[in-house]
Amino acid sequence: MSWEAEIVDGLLDAEIDLVTQLPDGAMGAVLEGIQESDVDTLRVEREESAIAAASGAWVTGERAAVMCQSSGLANAINAIGSLSAPARLPFLALVTRRGDLGEFNVAQVPAGYGLPGMMDEMGIRHTVVEEPGTLRKTVRMAADSAFSTRTPYVVFLDATVTGYGQEAQ
Amino acid sequence: MAADQFACTAAVIEETPDAVVVSNLGVASYVLAEVGDRERNFYLWGSMGSTTATGVGVAHGTDEQVTVLAGDGSLTMSLGVCSTVATADQSNLTVVCFDNGIYGTTGGQPTPSIDFAAAAEAQGLPAERVDSDDEFAAAYADAVARDGPSLIECTVEPTDPEARPTFDFPHIPRRVRDSLTE
Repeated sequence: MSWEAEIVDGLLDAEIDLVTQLPDGAMGAVLEGIQESDVDTLRVEREESAIAAASGAWVTGERAAVMCQSSGLANAINAIGSLSAPARLPFLALVTRRGDLGEFNVAQVPAGYGLPGMMDEMGIRHTVVEEPGTLRKTVRMAADSAFSTRTPYVVFLDATVTGYGQEAQ
Repeated sequence: MAADQFACTAAVIEETPDAVVVSNLGVASYVLAEVGDRERNFYLWGSMGSTTATGVGVAHGTDEQVTVLAGDGSLTMSLGVCSTVATADQSNLTVVCFDNGIYGTTGGQPTPSIDFAAAAEAQGLPAERVDSDDEFAAAYADAVARDGPSLIECTVEPTDPEARPTFDFPHIPRRVRDSLTE
């Protein structure tokens, strides 16, 4: 099973109702898999809006997930820090993480490499997935914990899972 | 000419008493609280610029009317969100932008002058511009009745409400959720 299919199955296992997202080439097959299921998707204009929309969905009883790149999560720091976390609005985030192994673009490094630490500083739980194989279980468990504890949970997907650019090779 | 933000907010509640009203941090939330606290008032205490997108998320999961009360400063911060509202195309979502011409919560500094209705239309979101209480009430009734989202830009006089929502931020969305799901 591909890592993309593992993620889709994990989202279905977790009974996610809505995925808010911005285009990300690395997650193209994941998005296609979701769109072939009963899970709704919403493309937004900026990652802050992905976080806010996912957070807002919680008041209706829905479970929402955010999909974005690490630079996008950096765009959304204030939405997490001054909306989702303090108002206890949970969501699952699936974030393709740039800036570490195989990264060729220095513009991706400060935020991408540093985001796990930033999440720690903000008290936002997260895990960095470096190998596929347990992704279905990880996605399911991250979502279950997010909604059980009413707090956001971020799953970072490293380039060792998603692949990395030809430019670096 | 300018409308009264209290009268317009009261008109929202009168026209759609069961609506979830998502209000921007600061003046919009203070006015909403002063008009009357209710279970479905989703006051925000932070995340300036994220109010409208929060409303999009709420509107996805309910058939009830969802009305966003944004401010001109907040909407300026995330003007591209109108494209998301247009993309989501939710018939139960109305966005109100109260344009008081100032950053009301940070000291009254002037905001950029923006034609929000034109900016919304340019992103595929139908919009109307009003500047009186009566015009607002009529525009809001039309917006709620239409089969699709829209934005109302309402020029208002600056105001300095005394009321505040509860400081217990987690309680606010919990109360909305209980009202919608129990």
